[in-house]
Amino acid sequence: MIKEEIEIKNRLGIHARPAAMLAQEAGKYQSDIFIAKEGMEVNAKSIMGIMMIAAEQGSRVQLTVQGADEQEAMASLKDVFNKIFEEE
Amino acid sequence: MITIKGIAASPGVAIGPAFILTPDTAIFEKKKIPAANVQGEVRRYQEAIERTLEDLNKTEASAQELFGAAYAKLLKAHKLILKDPMISQGVPARIEKDMINAEYALYTAVQEITAKFEAIKDEFFRERRFDIADVAKRLFENLTLKKQNKFAAIKEPSIVIAHNLYPYDTINLKGKKVLGFATDVGGKTSHTALLAQSMQMPAVVGLSTAAEKIKNGDIVIVDGENGLLVINPTPEAMEAYKKEQGKIKKVEHSLKDINDLPNITKDGHRVSLYVNYDPRRDFKEMDIFTSEGLGLLRTEFLYMDRFDPPSEEEQVAVYKKAASRFDVRPFTVRLADLGGDKISQLGLARSQEEDNPFMGNRGIRLFLKYPNLMLTQMRAIVKTAAEVDAKVKLMMPMISSVEEVVQVKKYFKTVLAELSAQRITPKNPIDLGVMIEVPSAALSLDGILPQVDFVSIGTNDLIQYLLAVDRTNQEVADLYDAYHPAVLRTINFVVQAARKKGKTVSICGEMASDPEMVPFLVGIGVDILSVSPRMFLRIKNTLRNLNFKDCSNLAQAAILLSSSADIKKLKEYYKTDEENT
Repeated sequence: MIKEEIEIKNRLGIHARPAAMLAQEAGKYQSDIFIAKEGMEVNAKSIMGIMMIAAEQGSRVQLTVQGADEQEAMASLKDVFNKIFEEE
Repeated sequence: MITIKGIAASPGVAIGPAFILTPDTAIFEKKKIPAANVQGEVRRYQEAIERTLEDLNKTEASAQELFGAAYAKLLKAHKLILKDPMISQGVPARIEKDMINAEYALYTAVQEITAKFEAIKDEFFRERRFDIADVAKRLFENLTLKKQNKFAAIKEPSIVIAHNLYPYDTINLKGKKVLGFATDVGGKTSHTALLAQSMQMPAVVGLSTAAEKIKNGDIVIVDGENGLLVINPTPEAMEAYKKEQGKIKKVEHSLKDINDLPNITKDGHRVSLYVNYDPRRDFKEMDIFTSEGLGLLRTEFLYMDRFDPPSEEEQVAVYKKAASRFDVRPFTVRLADLGGDKISQLGLARSQEEDNPFMGNRGIRLFLKYPNLMLTQMRAIVKTAAEVDAKVKLMMPMISSVEEVVQVKKYFKTVLAELSAQRITPKNPIDLGVMIEVPSAALSLDGILPQVDFVSIGTNDLIQYLLAVDRTNQEVADLYDAYHPAVLRTINFVVQAARKKGKTVSICGEMASDPEMVPFLVGIGVDILSVSPRMFLRIKNTLRNLNFKDCSNLAQAAILLSSSADIKKLKEYYKTDEENT
C-alpha cells in the first residue's frame, strides 16, 4: 500500500474536468484507489465520489493505492494531478 | 375554474382529461435474504444493470436519430453514472453485507448519494443529482421487471400533468395518446420544452404547484400560446378555447399555401424573413417553409452539460451541417453568449461568485477575458465559411462599447491571417455584426456602425436592460413590457441610425415572432425579421396582411406616445384581421 499527500495547487481545485480525468485514469488499474479529504474517503474510480469531495485550491488530499499495480497507478495518478495543476 | 400562469413551452391549445403522472417516490420494502440466496440476489442486480445498459444504448441510438447529438450526449453521461463503482459495486456489497434485497440496497445507496450531492456547494455538480435519480429509476424498473409503462394506462386522448418530466419520459410520449402536457418545473429552453416543440405538442411548464390542484380526469386546457393552464373551465371559457383551437388549425392549414408568395405587405413593401435556427432540433417543421436566411444561430448549447469546451472540429461539423440547410443564403453565427456560471465547469478559473450575473462576465466580455475560447470559435466559423456556399456572417453578443468591437475585430483579423497562411479562406467575405441588446451600445451606435456590416437587435435582453427587469423573477415579471415607450423609441433610434449609414438592421429577439409587434417593427423600417421556425408562416401571413402606410403611421405615432397603455390603445386602432388571409 502506498500513501501520498497531495496539495491541490490549481485555482479551481478538482473541478468537473479534473474529476473526470482522475476517475478515468484510476479506472485503468487493478489496485484499489482512494482519495480522502477531511475524513471523507471516496473511491477514486468513482466520478460521483470525486465530485462529492470537490477539493478546493490549497486543500490537501490523501491518495491511497493498494494492489498489484500500485506503483504504476500512483505514478500515473500523480501525473494526472500535475497535468491538472499545470493547466491553470 | 382555476387558471394558473406558467411558461409557454410549446405553442398550440390542447383540451382534454388530465392524466396525472404520479411522482416516483416509491419506497422499497426491506427484505432479508437467506445466506444461500445472497449470490443469486447479487446476480439479479447485475442482470438489471445489464438490461439498463441495453436500454440506455437503445435510447441513445433513437435519441440521436430523433433529436440529435445533444440528447445522445446526455445519455452517455447516464451510462457513466450506471458504471460508477458506487452503483455497480457499492450496491452488491450492501446486499452481501446486510443480506438484504437488491431493491432496498439500491434505494438506500441512492438516498445516501443524493443527500451528499445536495450538500455540494458547486451548482453544476449539485444538479447532477437529477441525472443520478433518472438512472436509478431505470435501474429500479429493470430490477422489478415491472417496466412501469406509465403512459400505457392512458386509455383516451389525454393531457399529461406531472411535477417533472424527464427527457426520457418526454421521448416516450411520442406516439402515445397524449394531446399536450403541463409540468410544475422546467423552463422554456429545458430539454423537455424543446422536445415538446419538436413533437408539435402544446405544453406549459413552470407551473410550480399545479400538479397537486388537479385530479385524474379533470378537464384541463393547456394554452401553449399564453403559457396558461386552465382547470375545469367554465362552459364560456371552453367555448372560447375551442374557437381559438379551431382558428389555430384553420390558420395553420391555410398557411402552407402562402409559403411560395413573396414577403411583402399588401402595398408592396418588402421585409426579409429569416429564421432563428437551433441545430439541436433539425426537424420537419423546417421543411414546411422557406426562409431567406438564418438570422441567428445560437451556439451556447455546444458548451453545455460538458467538461471541455467544444473543439474546433466539433464546431465545424455542427456549423457545416446547419449551413447545408441554407445553400447560398445568409448564415449568421453568434459567438457564444456564455454566462459566468458556465466557465468553471469548462475548466476556467473564475475570480468570484457573481451577485448579478446578467450584469457580469457574460457574452463578449467573457470571450475577451478568455480569448482562446473565442479564437477557437472564430477559427471554426472561418473554416466553415471556407467550405460551405452559404454566406456566413459573424455576430458579437453583449457588445456595450465600440472598444469591444475593435478588440474582437483585431482577434478576427489574426484568425483570418493565420488560416489564410494555411490556404484556408472563406468562399465569401464574412460580414461582421453586433447584437444590440445593451442600452449603452444603442446610444453610442454612431461610433459602432463604421466598424460593422450589420446590426441585429436582441429585444429580449434589450428590454430587460432598458427596464431593469429580470423577467424570470416572479416579483417583477409583470413589469417586463415590450410596449414601454423606452423600448419602441430605442428600437426606432437604432434603426434610423443604421439606415442613415446604409447598414441593415434585423430583429432577432422574441418580438419579431410576435404578430402583435410586427406592425411596429415594419413601420419603423426594420429590414429583416428573424423568426422562430414555429412562428415563421404565421409572421409571414401577418406581414402579407399589413399595409406599410398604416404601419408607418402607427410607428410614428407610437414613438410620440409616452405611456405603454396609450401605445396599446393605438395598436387596437390599427389591428389587422388575421383571418383575412
